[in-house]
Amino acid sequence: MSIPNDNLECGHSLEGLSTYLDTGGIPDPQHLEECPECQAALASLRNLKALGSEFLGEEIAAAGKGTDAWMQSILDNLRLEVRPGRTIPLRSDHPGDTLSETEGAITALVRAVGDALDGVAVGKCRLRGDITVPGAPVTLEVQLAVLYGHQMIGRASALRERLAVALARHTELNVAAIDLAVSDVLQPLQATPPTSEENQP
Amino acid sequence: MDGQTPLPHGLELVPDAILAGRASDGDTAAFEALARRYGPQMRACARRITGSFADADDVVQESLMQAWNQLDTLRDNGAVKGWLLRITGSRSIDHLRRRKVHPELATAENEATAAGAASNPESAVLNGSRVAALRSALARLPEEQRRCWVLKEFGDQSYEEIASTLKISADSVRGRLARARITLAREMEEWR
Repeated sequence: MSIPNDNLECGHSLEGLSTYLDTGGIPDPQHLEECPECQAALASLRNLKALGSEFLGEEIAAAGKGTDAWMQSILDNLRLEVRPGRTIPLRSDHPGDTLSETEGAITALVRAVGDALDGVAVGKCRLRGDITVPGAPVTLEVQLAVLYGHQMIGRASALRERLAVALARHTELNVAAIDLAVSDVLQPLQATPPTSEENQP
Repeated sequence: MDGQTPLPHGLELVPDAILAGRASDGDTAAFEALARRYGPQMRACARRITGSFADADDVVQESLMQAWNQLDTLRDNGAVKGWLLRITGSRSIDHLRRRKVHPELATAENEATAAGAASNPESAVLNGSRVAALRSALARLPEEQRRCWVLKEFGDQSYEEIASTLKISADSVRGRLARARITLAREMEEWR
């Protein structure tokens, strides 16, 4: 019987061991290594932990997939509203007209340009500078992941060029710089789809 | 999005941090990809706390709405999974608190959980398995212990996070979680 009373004969409490399991912290780690009672109780708690993970795996499988109808229905109900961000003034040909576009439209443009380029995925982007003042210098910062096997520098400079062209064509921003930060390398498509439990690429 | 060739693998394999960054910029497709990725675990966690998939779906929907509205408060985009589960745990408990207002529904949690352990088809299939034994041992735990255990093992929350979700002290969480584990471990050993 490896789970005895709440307090072991060596003086340690099972509560202390349970906390140790989560935090790795215990007053006298030396004792833990040498005490058979503590070792046995700890093994029992670890077995339970492992069984708990197995249980969770089955429960996640029982909950269904993210592509199932229940999830689609939840997503349909959400009706996500896009936050427009700051308002960027545009020149107008007729005095009295007030034209503008939104920051959200610019980040959507950046994502569209990035997604159209092979081997990259665009993440967060930021417009640094006072975009509400026409002609103020603006720096575009873009987070980026590059697909494994693609040349990082090459992809980044291709993206930078395309972004510069797209921003010049579709916006009136005075783009002083485009800063790209590659944060991840994407693993190529796997033969088997990842499980919902551990699907970090 | 615009008919051009997207990434060869779509958004499914794009890492959390990239998706969360896009989502906080207003990319609904990226947010939905995150929802599909972690929705099943959110649903599993909410179901084990609320007692039914119907309640769990309400909770998941509320949690995703809250997440969408608060994305800019997420400091580490790579930590989005834990953040979603934390919101789910907290919303599940809120859901139960609201239900407590209606006494006729107040015992639904225990009944549903116990029934889930005894009669649901998946445990019938697995009857005799260690996981089935754990499921029914969990259903017999006192409610507060069970919540701590589920928030810890399914929701992967820290003591402090569980404490704030349950509005009790971190020391109480430590104690209840230990009690839950000791009982479960004992029952599993007897089962063996």
